Amino acid sequence: MGWFTKAKPIDDQSRPPSRSSRKQCWESRDIFFQCLDKISVVNALDPKNQDAIQKNCKAQENKYEQDCATSWIKYFKEKRVVDHKREKFMQEMESKNAQQIDLSGVVRR
Amino acid sequence: MLSRTGVFTVLKRSTRLSGYALRPLSTRSCLRVEDQGTSRSRVTPRGGAPSGASSSTDPSDQSAFSGNTPPKSTTFEDADPKRKPLSRIAIGGTETKSQKATSGSIEFATWKAAALVLTLGGTLYYFFSKEKRRLEIEKEAEANRGYGKPLVGGPFKLVDFNGNEFTEKNLLGKFSIIYFGFSHCPDICPDELDKLSEWLDGLKKKGIELQPIFITCDPARDPPHVLKEYLSEFHPDLIGLTGEYNDIKNACKQYRVYFSTPPSLKPGQDYLVDHSIFFYLMDPEGQFIDALGRQYDAETGVAKIEEHVKAYVPREQREKRKEKWYSFLFN
Repeated sequence: MGWFTKAKPIDDQSRPPSRSSRKQCWESRDIFFQCLDKISVVNALDPKNQDAIQKNCKAQENKYEQDCATSWIKYFKEKRVVDHKREKFMQEMESKNAQQIDLSGVVRR
Repeated sequence: MLSRTGVFTVLKRSTRLSGYALRPLSTRSCLRVEDQGTSRSRVTPRGGAPSGASSSTDPSDQSAFSGNTPPKSTTFEDADPKRKPLSRIAIGGTETKSQKATSGSIEFATWKAAALVLTLGGTLYYFFSKEKRRLEIEKEAEANRGYGKPLVGGPFKLVDFNGNEFTEKNLLGKFSIIYFGFSHCPDICPDELDKLSEWLDGLKKKGIELQPIFITCDPARDPPHVLKEYLSEFHPDLIGLTGEYNDIKNACKQYRVYFSTPPSLKPGQDYLVDHSIFFYLMDPEGQFIDALGRQYDAETGVAKIEEHVKAYVPREQREKRKEKWYSFLFN
């Protein structure tokens, strides 16, 4: 594979990531996360889940780690957990008939 | 006349009787008798049969009078076939004819008046509600300008992506929208910058020009040429600002922007920068108007900025207005 040895172009610190490289990273991320959805793994950073990921989503994870900048790999995995918690919370609130308040139009005085 | 006296006598007799135990029953029966008696009396001048009137005085004869019972009406039609049913004949004669002549002009006038009221009311309502909203937005902007020192914004000294100096004075004379970020930002900054492009295009269609400014929070990795390359993939109007670490830190402080780069970085190491994600809308005096967060999408953001730009009143006018007698309206 060689993704440990060869430097990724997106990791080049002297150049900004381009729109196309961002898009590629996001696509690989989505494919990897879909795979995680299938084996119902939310937290990919949790060591408990490593075996399941290695067995079922190895290829997707490799592609994801190849296409995304090193700092982004962990960031997106963390964000997945946060987003999942948020969604669960929203669903729970909705089931309790909570009303969502839109504060965007509030006039401050 | 004969019949009336007959009715009265019955009435008197029954009220006198009603002093006894049978009061409710007796009053009801006497009322019915009175009704029939008066309707009868109308008929008599037209030459009706007075013989019936006398019979009406007798309460025991009620079965023949209740409503338009068939036996009753047949006797009338037999007497005069041309006569219309009693209820249709007006007492005063032909009053209905004179009413018809005036009705046309009245209808015309009401139609006109209704149309006038509707249009006038509608227009007034529209203008008042619009003006009310405008004043609200203006007040909001005024509150954000603060009393004395502005809450957000202030002097800064940075360099733009062409290497020219850029200070707070470059904000004067036009509305500006300022965003803080960094080029290695994984998802939020590029998303927000794409949204900003949509806002700018949407506002341009409405004739509103903004000066969009991107200030990096990561000066170590974002020298001018990197910013230029990064922003070339976004809106062409965008101006990228960078500078020395301390200058950036100062600018962020002025805008109450929090940012943090991880400590102890090795050269060439990839890292993320935490930072606040707000768009800061500044007026042509370089004063802060509003901060727009992620809750504004492509449409609502345009609407909000448009409202602010339209509600903006230059400082001279604001000061002048304070002297006027109606200044209380703006407080």
